Parts: sequence; structure tokens; C-alpha cells
Amino acid sequence: MSSLLSGQLLFAALATGGLYALVAFGLNLIYGTLRLLNVAHGEIVMLGAYAAYWAMTMMGGAPLFALPLAALLLGAFGFALYGGLFRLALSRPALMKRIEGNSLLLFFGVSIILQNAVSLVFSASPRANKADDALIAFADIQTSQSRLMAVAITFLVCLSLAIALKTSWAGRAVRAMIQNRDAAAIVGIPLDRLQAWSFAIGFAVAGLAGALVSLFEQISPFMGFPYTVAAFVVIILGGLGNLAGSLAAGLLLGVVETFGVAATSANWRSILVWGIFILVMLLKPQGLFGGSRR
Amino acid sequence: MIRRTAWMWVGLALAMAALPQLGGDYLIGLGITLLMWIALAESWIVLSGMTGYVSFGHAVFYGLGAYVMVVCWNNLPGWAGFLGAGLAAGLFALAIGYPVLRVRGPYFVILTYGLAELVKFLIINTEAALGKFGRLVFGAPPLATLYYLMLGLATLAVLIAWTVRRSRLGLGLAAIREDETAAENAGVPVARLKLIAFALSAAIPGMVGAVMALRSSYFEPLQAFSPTVSFNIVAMAVIGGGDDAPGPILGALFLVLLSELLWAHLPEVYMIILGLLVIGFVLFAPEGLHGRLQRLRRP
Repeated sequence: MSSLLSGQLLFAALATGGLYALVAFGLNLIYGTLRLLNVAHGEIVMLGAYAAYWAMTMMGGAPLFALPLAALLLGAFGFALYGGLFRLALSRPALMKRIEGNSLLLFFGVSIILQNAVSLVFSASPRANKADDALIAFADIQTSQSRLMAVAITFLVCLSLAIALKTSWAGRAVRAMIQNRDAAAIVGIPLDRLQAWSFAIGFAVAGLAGALVSLFEQISPFMGFPYTVAAFVVIILGGLGNLAGSLAAGLLLGVVETFGVAATSANWRSILVWGIFILVMLLKPQGLFGGSRR
Repeated sequence: MIRRTAWMWVGLALAMAALPQLGGDYLIGLGITLLMWIALAESWIVLSGMTGYVSFGHAVFYGLGAYVMVVCWNNLPGWAGFLGAGLAAGLFALAIGYPVLRVRGPYFVILTYGLAELVKFLIINTEAALGKFGRLVFGAPPLATLYYLMLGLATLAVLIAWTVRRSRLGLGLAAIREDETAAENAGVPVARLKLIAFALSAAIPGMVGAVMALRSSYFEPLQAFSPTVSFNIVAMAVIGGGDDAPGPILGALFLVLLSELLWAHLPEVYMIILGLLVIGFVLFAPEGLHGRLQRLRRP
């Protein structure tokens, strides 16, 4: 069992966990500010992966060009979606009520549409990015250059988002909104503008996460849902609107998954992830709020 | 008015019963598909239409039924596998029902999805450990027999949905849907009623899965537990509309015809249209096709 203690596994766990934290951050932001549970969030990750694939392998761009491009494209998509659809819906209370009551069905619909639209354009078969992959060895850890870069970027982005949310004016306003919407509106926080930006940033971060995944893993139109699930687990464990909690929970999930798979076999990955998810759900049936607020 | 509607349904059932005598294999196959979706969607509304606990994992009962059938086939008589499939699905619902039905709203939806996925991967791993990768069914009954089995299941599902809706149980379920806390305080045994509805809505999909395993003479977990099955059920019920028996029939008829036109050549386009239809109906016609028709008839 000494192989379980290797730095290699720890590194893989950090890589997975960091990505989970990143994806969960976007979901957290949108759920916290809009009270909409976006099950299509994993599909945004998938779109980001395909944007990077298109920029790198089909257009021959460098990763440092493809990553910001994917984030920017998806961020703009989020902004447009909010401005086009949600502002329209928010102005009609009856429609908004229907959206809130059926958000799951609606977003499942969106997720089916996105999956199949992408598989129509790029075909359903998995793709892999052509990255220049020099191997790097460090102590007993062996990794590829692009993977190392992905991990570094993941943690850099997570950290800067955490700091921004903690210290900046907008970050504090968003946290106030998550705590109590009505009170936030009363003290003059511009809900609409912050919601638009939350949508855009949430989508941008998810798109970036997808682009990072595409650097070292195969991508397919149906890759998104596991990320949605992981993000749910992370948010439930880490707490709504709590980014430090998200980071810790993301890493924990990454560690459990990576070491769990190493201790059993690759076939168990899905069972492990779904098992954790169901366990968390059953132990916290109140859902994401965890009973701490209503 | 009510008498005329009732006669219309009896006429429809008789027409469906006569279909194997009139049509060829293609038509019988299409009929089985249509009846399968009617049976699944009718079962679904017993839980989800009536209580508002939207299940996104009904494929788990379908898949379990198919699995029980292929495991029993050649070891036990056919009827034992068929009834065993329904029993297994119903018992599974009873076993998981109590903790699962405590989870409300959107979380219930994802939880049911997750359960279906978990069971799928558990069975994939069990099969792999047994050294089986897909199982074939030899000597399945002729198509017409399967057709009549499916017709029986669909009729049963319609009758269950119709009866439950008009029973004390249905009233209790509707109270849960409108306001569960209030219902509980008024003395409705919510936990028990939800559990009964869950088991009722699971048993028939199990038997439907068993019949479909014989129909395709093949079992493959990725297919039998496919989330597409769950999504189709929900889509049909939503498009058909409401918590009463006619809704799912209309929804199933509409989507089966649409998929017959598109699935073979443009499966992605069919799924995209399905997604758009669900979104459109939820937002702009929550009463569904059935509700729309009723409004047309009673101006």
C-alpha cells in the first residue's frame, strides 16, 4: 500500500480538486445571487473545453491564447444570456415564478440542447488536444508540462477569486446579496448589475476550467455532467457563498476520488463520485443552504 | 360528455388491441414503443405529477426490470422473470424511498438522477466481475405476444393513474404537492403516502423493462439505464401535461411520432427539439397538450 502515499497521487488529487473548486465557484456564484440551480453548468465547462480545442487544435493557437479566449467567450455568453433571457423573465413575475419552480427541468433542457448541438457540430466521438507535452519530473512526481500549467493556473485563479470576494467592494456586495437579497437591495446594492456580472464571471470561470481540462484529458459533448455533480457536492460540503469552504471541499473531493480509485480500480470512479453525492444528499436533505439560512 | 370521452378511450384500447392483426412487424414494433412510453409516463405521473416530486431517474426501475429478466431468463419460467422484475423495482423503491423522499424540490430531482447512475455503474461493475459484457436473450417470445404484454401494462398504468387520482390517496398526494408542511399538520400521513406512490410508480416500469429486454433480446447496462429514458419520460409527461391519465398518452403519442420522423437520421436534432419543447411547454404552456385541448373544448 506504500504506493498510496506517493506524491504522484497527491498531485493528481490536487489537480482534480482544484478543478472541482473552480467549477463549483461559478455554480456557487450564480446560485447564490440568482437562486437558480444551474444543472447545465457542466455543459458550460464542456463548451469551454471545445472552445479551447477549436482555438488550439483546429486553429493552431497557443494554450496561453486559448485559455483566456475560452473564458472570454463563455463569459460573454453568460452576459448575453442574462441580459437577453433573464432580464426579460425577471420583468414578468408570473414567468419568473415558473422558472424558479421548474429551474431543474429548464436547465436539464438546456443541458440536453447544448450536448446535442455540440455533438452535431463536432461529432459525438471524444477528441484530444494536441499540446506540446514535455515530461517534467520532480521528486517522485512525473507530470506533463501542460498539466503542471493547468494546476498552477487553477490555483492562481481560485486564490485571486477568493481574495477578490473577500476584499473588493463587488465581492462584499455579492456576499451581502447571498446572505440576504432584500436587505442588500435596501442598502443600495445594484442587484441587477451584480447578477449580470455573477452570471458572466460564473460562466467565464467554468469555461476556463473546461479549457484547462482539455489540455490534458479527452473531451466529449457529454463530459459536463460529472463536473456539475462534483460542484454540487463541493457546494453542499463547503457552504453556499463560502469560497474558502469550496476550495477545501473541492480538494477533499479530489483526494477522496483519486485515492479511492487508486485503492480500488478505475471502474469504481463513477460509483465513488455518485456514492459520495447521494450520501451527502441524504445526510443534508435541506440541500445547499444546509439549514443555516432560509 | 364524460360518457363520450370514456367510450373514446375504450375505442382506442380496442383499436390498439386489433393492431397486430392488421399491421406488419414495423407497425407492431412502433406500437410496442408507443405503449412502452405510455406505460412509463403514466407510472411517472403517479409519483411526480401528483406529488410534485419530479423523478429524473425512472430509468433505474426500467433498467432493474430488464436486468432481473435477463438474469432469470432460461433459469426460471418467463412469467416469473416478468413478475419478478416488477416486484424487484417496487421493492427497490420501497427500500430507498424513505430517506430519498425526505429530500425536496430541485434536490430530489438530482438525487433520483444520481441514484439511477449509481445503480447503473454498480451493475456494470457486477457484470464485469462476473465476466459478462452484455447478455443475449435466446428464444424470446414472438413480437405479437410482447405487444399484448405491453398493451396490458399500458392499460394497467393508465387505470392506476386514473384511479389514484380519484382516490383518497390521490387527494393526499395533491395535498403534499400544494403544501407538504400544511398537509402534514392537517394529519395527512405524508411519508407513507409518498412511499406508496413511489412504489406504485416503480413497479410497472420494472415490468416494462423486462418486456423490452425480451424485445431487443439483449441487455446492456449503459442502454438499459440510459438517462435518455428518464428524460423522455419527463418530457412526455410535461408535454402531455397535468396529473391525469390522458396527458401522458398525448405526450407519448406526440413524441413517438416525432422521434419516428427524426431519430433514425437526425438523433441529435430530435434531442435538441425535445429540449426546446420541454423548455417551451414549462414556460409558456404549463397545462400541456391535455390542458390546451380541454380549454379548446370548453370555451
